[in-house]
Amino acid sequence: MAKVLDRVYTVKEEMINVRNKIEAKSIAFDYDGVEILKNIDLTIKEGEFVVFMGPSGSGKSTLLRLLTGLAQPKKGEILVNGHSIAKSLPDSAVVFQDYSLFPWLTAEENIILALKQKLKKSKTKQELEHLAQSYLLLVQLGHAFKKYPGEMSGGMRQRAAIARALSLGSDLMFMDEPFGALDPVTRIQLQDLILQVNYEQQRTIAFVTHDAEEAIILADRIVIFSPGPPGSLVETINVPFPKPRNRKKLIESLEFIELRNYILDIMNKGIFEKLEQGHEIRSAGEGI
Amino acid sequence: MKKFFSIYIYTTIITIALLALWFYITNFTGWLSPIIFPSPEIVVMAFFKALIELFQGFVSSMKLLVPSFVLALILGIGGGLFFGLHPKSRKILTPFFNAFSPLPLTLFIPYAIALLPTFELASIFILFLAAFWPIFLGTIQGVLLVDNHFWDNAKTIGLQQKDLILKVIIPASSPFILSGTGTALNLSFLILMTAEMFGAKSGMGYFIQFYTDFTQYDYVLAGLIFNSIVILLVMFTFEKIKKRILFWTNLKNEAN
Repeated sequence: MAKVLDRVYTVKEEMINVRNKIEAKSIAFDYDGVEILKNIDLTIKEGEFVVFMGPSGSGKSTLLRLLTGLAQPKKGEILVNGHSIAKSLPDSAVVFQDYSLFPWLTAEENIILALKQKLKKSKTKQELEHLAQSYLLLVQLGHAFKKYPGEMSGGMRQRAAIARALSLGSDLMFMDEPFGALDPVTRIQLQDLILQVNYEQQRTIAFVTHDAEEAIILADRIVIFSPGPPGSLVETINVPFPKPRNRKKLIESLEFIELRNYILDIMNKGIFEKLEQGHEIRSAGEGI
Repeated sequence: MKKFFSIYIYTTIITIALLALWFYITNFTGWLSPIIFPSPEIVVMAFFKALIELFQGFVSSMKLLVPSFVLALILGIGGGLFFGLHPKSRKILTPFFNAFSPLPLTLFIPYAIALLPTFELASIFILFLAAFWPIFLGTIQGVLLVDNHFWDNAKTIGLQQKDLILKVIIPASSPFILSGTGTALNLSFLILMTAEMFGAKSGMGYFIQFYTDFTQYDYVLAGLIFNSIVILLVMFTFEKIKKRILFWTNLKNEAN
């Protein structure tokens, strides 16, 4: 563990000079009178890949939603590029778990619709079509330009969703468990694709998952949530492996296994505490 | 055609059985009055003799139905989108919608006749009302039930106004809009036939009323059959269009 921590410090020092992409200050969020998030302070640097981890109900997806501007926090302030996002959505691209595409439009039409908003009227229909196709080719969907989401497999849909996110050209991407429903092979392919996007194009990515291995492979920094509600941040781990990463070497290394176990320990500790709390209340209730 | 028969084989058998029963009862039993229940071959003869007259009636009826239905579609969908997307206006006017939509249309007939100069205009007005409410209320419901995921998705790519309405809201609410449109179509025919039996000078309903007055029931039945065929064809076409618009709800996944 000491070795891991040493590396953490060097990574930290390198990051000092980088600008902040997102600053979330003492965020709280309620839904139907239930406290979902409390006291969230989080800074994401430019070009950083931050993964949110936590059990269901910990509010990790809610925080991502708040960062995208789709919902407003009850307390606190969120700045993207130094500007508050309370009034208008930040310039970003979002990939949802399985609904980033409109089912009545083909893969190509879905991307054209997004591009049209972005580029206003500066491009002709043909140019837009060409551009959309080039992004679909980038994610190996050359054979599926005219396919509807209902005709595609889950993996193809997520590829198309990523193509759409990339086409928007924003340097900030939000991804909410985008690979949660995919088979292992597709999942690895798409993880590599997204790592490449992050590393080569210096796009900032905030990514939600509950898979510890996925988190370590992708993240520069992992933010762990306590089991909610209300969820809060229990620990932030700087992942000490330099990018680009070699997946095979990485997952076989002792450091990887140690870090994974460390993360699972934190998660389990939180879950057990939660369960015990529940148990206490129950037995007290039975005693009355 | 082969597919058609494999689907509708039993429908066809039942139709033939009913015709045979009708033929048997009218020709070989004395159970029914031959004046009110003429045998099928007489009705078929009447059908072909009156064919031109039936088609003229059809054209005349469509002159009432088509404009009123098109108007109901435009105002129903347009109004439904407006009130679906403006919660405040909707809340203020919902009591009116609830009060007026279930009123029987016959209540409006005296006013329609008193206020509008011709029978045609009065009929178009009543038919419009019949078709408007189901489409309008269906559209409001459709807009209100647009999946939150679609809204989120549209917001994150910054969709606004024209594209938001045409590419997201209308397609997402189209199942409800179309279900309202189907109800409206059924109701329109019902009202059309009823309206034409009183006061009209031509039309599909008028044809039946006219020959009823002369107790020529072979023509009455020919008219009934003709009207049923027309309604069947219209509904069949509508179902085809509906299936086409909603193609995305029923796609086969490549992986499965």
